[in-house]
Amino acid sequence: MARRDDTDELVVRARDGDGDAWARLVERHSGLLWSIARSYGLNDADAGDAVQTTWLRLVERIDELREPAAAACWLATTARHESLLLARRRGRTLPTVPAPREPEPDPARVVAARERLGMVGAALERLPLRCRTLLRLFALAPSHAELAAALGIPVGSVGPTRARCLESLRRLVP
Amino acid sequence: MNDDELMAGVRETYQVLDPVPAAVLAAARASIAWRAPAARLAELEHDRGGRAAGVRGGPARTLTFTCPGVTVEIEVTPDGRLREIHGRLVPSAAALVEVRHRDLPPGGITARTEPAGMFWLPRVPTGLVSLILRLDDGTSIVTSWIRL
Repeated sequence: MARRDDTDELVVRARDGDGDAWARLVERHSGLLWSIARSYGLNDADAGDAVQTTWLRLVERIDELREPAAAACWLATTARHESLLLARRRGRTLPTVPAPREPEPDPARVVAARERLGMVGAALERLPLRCRTLLRLFALAPSHAELAAALGIPVGSVGPTRARCLESLRRLVP
Repeated sequence: MNDDELMAGVRETYQVLDPVPAAVLAAARASIAWRAPAARLAELEHDRGGRAAGVRGGPARTLTFTCPGVTVEIEVTPDGRLREIHGRLVPSAAALVEVRHRDLPPGGITARTEPAGMFWLPRVPTGLVSLILRLDDGTSIVTSWIRL
């Protein structure tokens, strides 16, 4: 996975009008933002809306962002906030830890995925939904700070939570 | 498998099962075009009523945006599948107001403020919307993006 420690540099370059830098920011962070939206049970249209609003908010503020280095956490926090608003607007009651309603996967894709991913994919399916969701975010968030922002939990509790879920997954992988 | 291999497996599983749709990525890439570096940002301060969007006779949705020294108030009412915006710039100033929306061409929906700072924008599509107000003194204001 690409190291993400140059996010601040990309923000500064995008601010100076570098379109490629902006495109790289989008490629790098959209996966996590999409997963955050999914963790709130949003369907395709709403998840797309939450992600798009998040990027537009960054565009709104890009010229006054005092700490470009904090952009990654800011994006995760904003995506969580926008997802929450949309989920509430859809009248869902939310548990403290979001329980995603995963999209109906396309059977052909599932078969292909099983062949390719085999053990981990099969193990994930047997995990409780909460752990599955957390692991998905863990896999995409490069830092504890970003993950805490994505989950809305204290940074200090990220490590232990991550370790517990990873252990559950490991036990299921032969 | 070590932690990194497990994590790579998780990442890849979701990339296959639930990838970010291409249209979402394309919209995100295009969003930088909305940047208005010279404009002041009026942030959303209140968003009230209008929960029953689309229901005639329901409470109108009113939104207030502020930046230092300026307030933009709008009232959004349903007009079939579209929306109608009645707004006001406080303090009153002569300005051209334009709706920013993914599906509208530049200059698609505009209005001049009237003497009391009032403006009216008909037939606004739903979805993500922001207003840009170009004042006659050469400055401009953009409102935060909202979902209509």
